[in-house]
Amino acid sequence: MLQVNYIGAFCLIVLGMYCMIAKKNLMKTCIGMGMMDYGVNLLIVSVGFHDGGTAPIFVISELSRASFFVDPVPQALTLTSIVIGACTTAMALSLVIMAKKQYGTINTEQIRRLNG
Amino acid sequence: MTISMAHFPILAIMVLFLGAFLVALFGRKSEVLRNGISFLATGGAMAFMLALIKPVMIDGEVITYWLGNWAPVSGWAIGISIEVDALSLFFGLVITVAVFVSCIYAFTYMKEDDSLANYFTLFLMLSGSVLGLVLSGDLFNMFVMIEIMTFTAVALTAFRNNYEGAIEGAFKYLAVGALGSTAVLTGIAILYCQLHTLNLAQIAATLPQYADSPLTIMAFGLLFIGFGTKAFIFPFHPLAADAHAVAPASISLMISGVLTKCGVYGIIRLVYVLFQNVEVPAVQYLVVGFGTVSMFICVTMAFNQHNFKRLLAFHSISQVGYVIAAIGLGTALGLSSGLYHAMNHTLFKGLLFLTAGAVQHATGSLDLDRLGGLAKKMPKTCILFLIGAASISGLPPFNGFASKWYIYQAAFEKGSTSGNFFFIFVCVVALITSVLTLASFIKVAQSVFFGQLSPEFKDTKEVSLAMRIPMWILAVLCIFTGLLPGKVSEYLLTPATNAAMNAVNYIDQMMGQGYAVSHGVAGSLGDTAVTFAGVWDPVIWLLLLFCVTCAVAIVAILGSNRKLGTREAPAALQEPEKVAPAEAKYEPFFSGEESVYSQVGGSDLFWGFKHNLKKYFSFMHDWHSGIVNDYALYGVVAIAFVLVFCIAFV
Repeated sequence: MLQVNYIGAFCLIVLGMYCMIAKKNLMKTCIGMGMMDYGVNLLIVSVGFHDGGTAPIFVISELSRASFFVDPVPQALTLTSIVIGACTTAMALSLVIMAKKQYGTINTEQIRRLNG
Repeated sequence: MTISMAHFPILAIMVLFLGAFLVALFGRKSEVLRNGISFLATGGAMAFMLALIKPVMIDGEVITYWLGNWAPVSGWAIGISIEVDALSLFFGLVITVAVFVSCIYAFTYMKEDDSLANYFTLFLMLSGSVLGLVLSGDLFNMFVMIEIMTFTAVALTAFRNNYEGAIEGAFKYLAVGALGSTAVLTGIAILYCQLHTLNLAQIAATLPQYADSPLTIMAFGLLFIGFGTKAFIFPFHPLAADAHAVAPASISLMISGVLTKCGVYGIIRLVYVLFQNVEVPAVQYLVVGFGTVSMFICVTMAFNQHNFKRLLAFHSISQVGYVIAAIGLGTALGLSSGLYHAMNHTLFKGLLFLTAGAVQHATGSLDLDRLGGLAKKMPKTCILFLIGAASISGLPPFNGFASKWYIYQAAFEKGSTSGNFFFIFVCVVALITSVLTLASFIKVAQSVFFGQLSPEFKDTKEVSLAMRIPMWILAVLCIFTGLLPGKVSEYLLTPATNAAMNAVNYIDQMMGQGYAVSHGVAGSLGDTAVTFAGVWDPVIWLLLLFCVTCAVAIVAILGSNRKLGTREAPAALQEPEKVAPAEAKYEPFFSGEESVYSQVGGSDLFWGFKHNLKKYFSFMHDWHSGIVNDYALYGVVAIAFVLVFCIAFV
């Protein structure tokens, strides 16, 4: 079951990269960035997942060798990473708005005053 | 180690973030309050770092700090840690000095911009995040700091959002930088999957058991290229060029002097401490190869530039290429020369960016084809620029010479001991790059400060003392680090090199004595004694420079007594009645045509050189197309290349 997650994560990252390379639209570049983020988030959550594990909420006395729960650290990492991803997307979108105002287009081939 | 010392690193980080918070709260009301808070925060962070020199650099301690006192439980690091060894402190010092200088420069430089509270909030967040990155002992924390660093840097790049291209440069930086961040995070996820820890020391201790696993190697490749993105190595260098050209000069200093150092720090931590695989030949080829390509490609790109700061940006990456090539050699001499050059790069490149900012502040232009002859109007800035240019071009006795000299030696020594032609080739490329750097700075000096003054800029005023003081701080540091390589080596480079090459100590200080050996970490890498093959005495060079300067000055003063009058020709044209009658008599015989404005523009100075190599230059010009998709493509290709290379050869 986990293999599906890993394959899914890989596909999302690659699709995101493809989107950034091939799509000549700044909005789609932002979408590509977002997809890469989601792919990595899926990867991290999958790393910490144990099939059949419970939620990792215990008091010390309950904790024993037999307790079987999913790893809480990757979930914390994913939360952080999601927040960062949201910030990055917000920043990218605000830059797209500014670019549209200044250049009158969001076509990447026309937004290339800095070159050479 | 006293209790108070252990708190210094976290206080240094906190004071910057707290400063950012306070500026956001109170900075809008009063300029004095805003500048005061920023000054105190950056100065305070620098003071904390300086206070750590004694215990860490001289006594060789490693300061560890567990946030919330979550110390390791039965050999497992469960809390977030801060660990300051000499390597971290070395970069911490470089960063805090650069941040402090940038901050006091910005007080005057940014004066005419609005919403400065936002500027200083973002600036202090950027400073705090880079300091947090180099002091952190936790891999995921490093990632978080990288992300804060990236998007505050992006926001600051676009700060003057009416400036032509600012939005564009910022967007490219953000989008292609996201590739690097994704690579780092994926690498961290893969490492966590194997090791179930994020603590640097514990990863370093347990990783050797998994050294041959393809997953480990993949994680290495991803982390390497991720940190490489933050150092703007070869396929990512267009981002730096675009961002630098449009960012305010104080932020250019931060991007070139501080952000690239974070990437360099990440790579050093990665290959020397975390994976300890710097002695694997394939890793050396990888790191040195990327460094060499960056240094050569970027220096040739600089020839094509017409924008002062964009040109400096390419040189910046070229110098970072030197640093990365040197640290990839894997020898003590290589690492210490790389660290030396990293420090010098921050100083002289910061100085050059600030002089570029001063020129922009005074004239409103950065166009090398329009500027010219500013030495007459801005003589003090010109001297500062010449110090910076001499340093970056590697003229003795300035600091660029000392560190490049060590890098040549390190590469040559590596080539001769290993008998490998590749490292000799690296040494030769480094030499050629240095020559090209000098040529390029002759071009800048000629087209900005010397040559003829354009009529357009005849009312230019010298920048104020408040802007020159930060430049002088950097210039004096440039001269001192060049004149005293022995002292620099003793107090900064040798401790940092030893710390980087002694992963066992790093692990033991964090996780408890004997932890590294019990996990089978082999021990410190190689011989850490640094011996230099060549000998040079900077003081003699200083005397020589002084004598030559005196000779030139005497000739110039004596020469100016003879009234040739050619320089005053345009004035004579406007006011012919003021010409002395005796000279007016001979005017028809001597004057000929009045001299006209005929400055050789920046793009024409090396016309012959560029003409002969025009295929290469036009190819490179087209290659840096400015389209974000292309840059993303180069980035993805680089990631793929590094992954394939690592899995195939490491």
